[in-house]
Amino acid sequence: MQGDAESKVLSLKCSPVNSPLSTLNSPLTTMKDHMHSRRLFLQHGMALLAATPTIPMFLDNTAMAFANAVASQDSGKDGKILVIVQLSGGNDGLNTVIPHGDDAYHRARPAIGKAAKDVLKIDGYVGLNPNLAPLKSLFDNGQMSIVQGVGYPNPNRSHFRSMDIWQTAEPDDERNTSGWLGRYFDSCCSGADPTNQMDPSSGVSIGEIQPLAMKGEKFSALSFERPDSFRYKGKNLDDFVDLNKPLSDATPTRDAPREADAGRRGKPVIAPVTEDEQLNFLSRTALDAQASSDRILRATGAHKPGVSYPGGEFGNGLKTIAAMIRAEMPTRVYYVSLGGFDTHANQAGRHDQLMTQLAQGIGAFMEDLRAQKNDERVLLMTFSEFGRRVVQNASGGTDHGAAAPLMLFGSRLKQGLIGKHPSLTDLDAGDLKYNVDFRSVYASILQNWLDTPSKPILGRQYQTFDLVRG
Amino acid sequence: MARLHPALEPYSPSSDDPFDATKVAHLLHRAGFGATLEEIDAYRSLGPKRAVEKLLDFPDLPVEEQGDEGPDLSGIEGYPNNFAERRKLFESKTPQERMELQNMLQRANREAVLATGLWWLQRMVTGPTPLQEKLTLFWHGHFTTSARDERSAWLMWQQNETLRRNAAGNFGAFVKNISRDPAMLDYLNNQQNRKGRPNENYARELMELFTLGIGNYTETDIKEAARAFTGWGHDGESYIFRPSLHDEEPKKFFGVTGKFDGDDVIELILKRNECANYIAGKLYRFFVAETAEDGVLASLGFLLRESKYELRPLLYTLFSSKAFYAPTAIGTQIKSPVHLLTSSARLMGIDNPSRIPLMGVLEQMGQVPLNPPNVKGWPGGRMWINTSTLFVRYNTSLLMVSRINEKDLNPNRLSNPREIVAYWLGRLIQRPIAAAKRAKLESELGPRPDNGAIRRMIELIVSMPEYQLC
Repeated sequence: MQGDAESKVLSLKCSPVNSPLSTLNSPLTTMKDHMHSRRLFLQHGMALLAATPTIPMFLDNTAMAFANAVASQDSGKDGKILVIVQLSGGNDGLNTVIPHGDDAYHRARPAIGKAAKDVLKIDGYVGLNPNLAPLKSLFDNGQMSIVQGVGYPNPNRSHFRSMDIWQTAEPDDERNTSGWLGRYFDSCCSGADPTNQMDPSSGVSIGEIQPLAMKGEKFSALSFERPDSFRYKGKNLDDFVDLNKPLSDATPTRDAPREADAGRRGKPVIAPVTEDEQLNFLSRTALDAQASSDRILRATGAHKPGVSYPGGEFGNGLKTIAAMIRAEMPTRVYYVSLGGFDTHANQAGRHDQLMTQLAQGIGAFMEDLRAQKNDERVLLMTFSEFGRRVVQNASGGTDHGAAAPLMLFGSRLKQGLIGKHPSLTDLDAGDLKYNVDFRSVYASILQNWLDTPSKPILGRQYQTFDLVRG
Repeated sequence: MARLHPALEPYSPSSDDPFDATKVAHLLHRAGFGATLEEIDAYRSLGPKRAVEKLLDFPDLPVEEQGDEGPDLSGIEGYPNNFAERRKLFESKTPQERMELQNMLQRANREAVLATGLWWLQRMVTGPTPLQEKLTLFWHGHFTTSARDERSAWLMWQQNETLRRNAAGNFGAFVKNISRDPAMLDYLNNQQNRKGRPNENYARELMELFTLGIGNYTETDIKEAARAFTGWGHDGESYIFRPSLHDEEPKKFFGVTGKFDGDDVIELILKRNECANYIAGKLYRFFVAETAEDGVLASLGFLLRESKYELRPLLYTLFSSKAFYAPTAIGTQIKSPVHLLTSSARLMGIDNPSRIPLMGVLEQMGQVPLNPPNVKGWPGGRMWINTSTLFVRYNTSLLMVSRINEKDLNPNRLSNPREIVAYWLGRLIQRPIAAAKRAKLESELGPRPDNGAIRRMIELIVSMPEYQLC
């Protein structure tokens, strides 16, 4: 497979002489000037392949893939973008989207429940937490959908395990090592190298650790806490670039052998990887990293939004994402987290603060996108590993639960409330029963928004619903 | 077949192919965590045979019987591990006290796991038995258990000692011991494996990942083996056999029928050639190279069976072989994150790594001891490298350089830039380096290098892709 992709690249006709990118004879600076234009790159990407040993690996690996498989799927620059907001710790869904019209809600939560009069009502039954006013106006403008009662069979109440389940979309296989978005990237590109299938900034997550959701078998998303932490911190960047120059085009960065292939009967014997090949692989990854770092620093440095984001990591993360969207980065999926939702005790004040932070962050982000005229290109989804128990506990908090609402934001959303609110009296061990499998939401996003068949990514066909206007 | 594959015959030094610093450093990187200049001299004078004998000369004992106190677990001391005793302790408390005790114990266990990991890193850097620790790390990635799932720090520590005690012993005995290891019994759910309600998790991984490799058994073999392991559990401290939960009925495993228990199943597995080949191959790929000449792995597997699964003869053959010292082995391995950190500390002579957030950077680089990502362990090789991890690896190396003692920067009081560069390349990379790169390092020093210039030059050395390899 991988060999095929490579040979196709080489057999394509190129026009190295007249291409504006064919002047890329090595200086990174020349390349940077051109790199912002993905479309230009798509047109002339083939020329790059013949050009020079110093082009980043993702360019020659992805030129082909983009030109072929992804032609219809657009890069982030002119195509659709997905933003995932992970609410870590288990968000209390019942105090987020509140069934104010249900007596059972008020009975179950005498201390931490919200009075019906304070709830920002959507209809006679549900409404939003009083601290979600910015989201309520998005809802009223048709820019927010709520999928009610989202979960999965035999819910797991461990944070780690349930988070893995949401991120891998594989409740039954504990050994799954790839995430649903990682597999999305895997499926839309196949190239020559296992760790650098495509432009690494196609998926960006804000945070030190790459979330499992964004990890493919081949694709690996870019992760950083702050734009200025994603860079070489030595004194002199030129030295770094100089010391990491790939050796030559003659030294390929071919696929490293897989464990499964080694020594198996009937398999061709794979030549050992030489030190030079490893050096070339490292150098080209370093160059990829540097090119991405550079673009991101420039994008975020240049962005002066007219709206104010809430302080803290979450607000800063959304601001960084808005800056990258504005700068026409090729990123198609962004990922950011807001933590602290594990509210076992005295949750009232804490959860309200989190709601405020969430609403102000998403509110500012959507406004920023509107000002950029990018709002029609972006879909934002929130999720949490589980909701919380219906009945409050003895410490004024709530324990780990199951089904919960999931929120979607975007200017092209079709409808407000999706799915039925779960019953507050017909419970499963004290927890809400799910009505919508979370993989249905993923499938709908993949098919309806990212224009990709969902079955190869999710393993089977889940029911989908109309998410966006055509 | 009885003859050893030529590539596994012992390397014997000659004037054309001497046992030089590069080879000694290679041996000590792979069979440990890198070599100081003093160690290179000492091992070189031993010659390749005695060098390997010395490395393999360690007692198959837990560290507590080797005069090492082990990690500081005082935070969890005094609290019973035994389930029955713990239950008694909890029963004597009010609900409020119970919750507080529960929270306190959770915190104490997390801290104790962290302390165990840090202690282990320290032992890798300064301990007397580097190969024992390197093997322990290998087996930790093989017989995995994660502290994310096994919350008892005591059981995680006991497993670490089990891995150490068996690291170079008899593989058959090792499998029997690990099958009784409480943390393993928890991690792969054999604790829940009982007559009439078998849990197949352990039986499956035992064959797929621990002994035979995928494809070398049937689904029926898994079902039958699971029945054989019913009733194997632990009481919070130690292995216990629970006869009432054990399925005494006959099982049919690998075509043989009998009233098998777990040990019988293990014996039948060990009889398969696939088992010896699988283990020998995995050791070869970890210690020597990712690919082997045709027939090498089968020859090693044969050796393992001949020695009745004693690991020392196999390890001795590996580390003495021509294949081990081949140019395709030396300098072709991407350092694991743990190796990068520990060998940096050793090579740079850093005795005080404070102010370096060790576990934090290890997590960002993708390898936290006691927290493998899943039951398959760490995939290793090029999977360590992507655009996000690469900067962390380089920046962490730079941070380590900042911790080199001032008096250690130029201990021989050299003044010639070329000699200073040669000295530090000899300490940190220990392989030939291209002339252009050496010239760059020399020019960084200037004509009259002071300590500041030397430190800057070392920063450049660790910014070379060569430093990422061993």
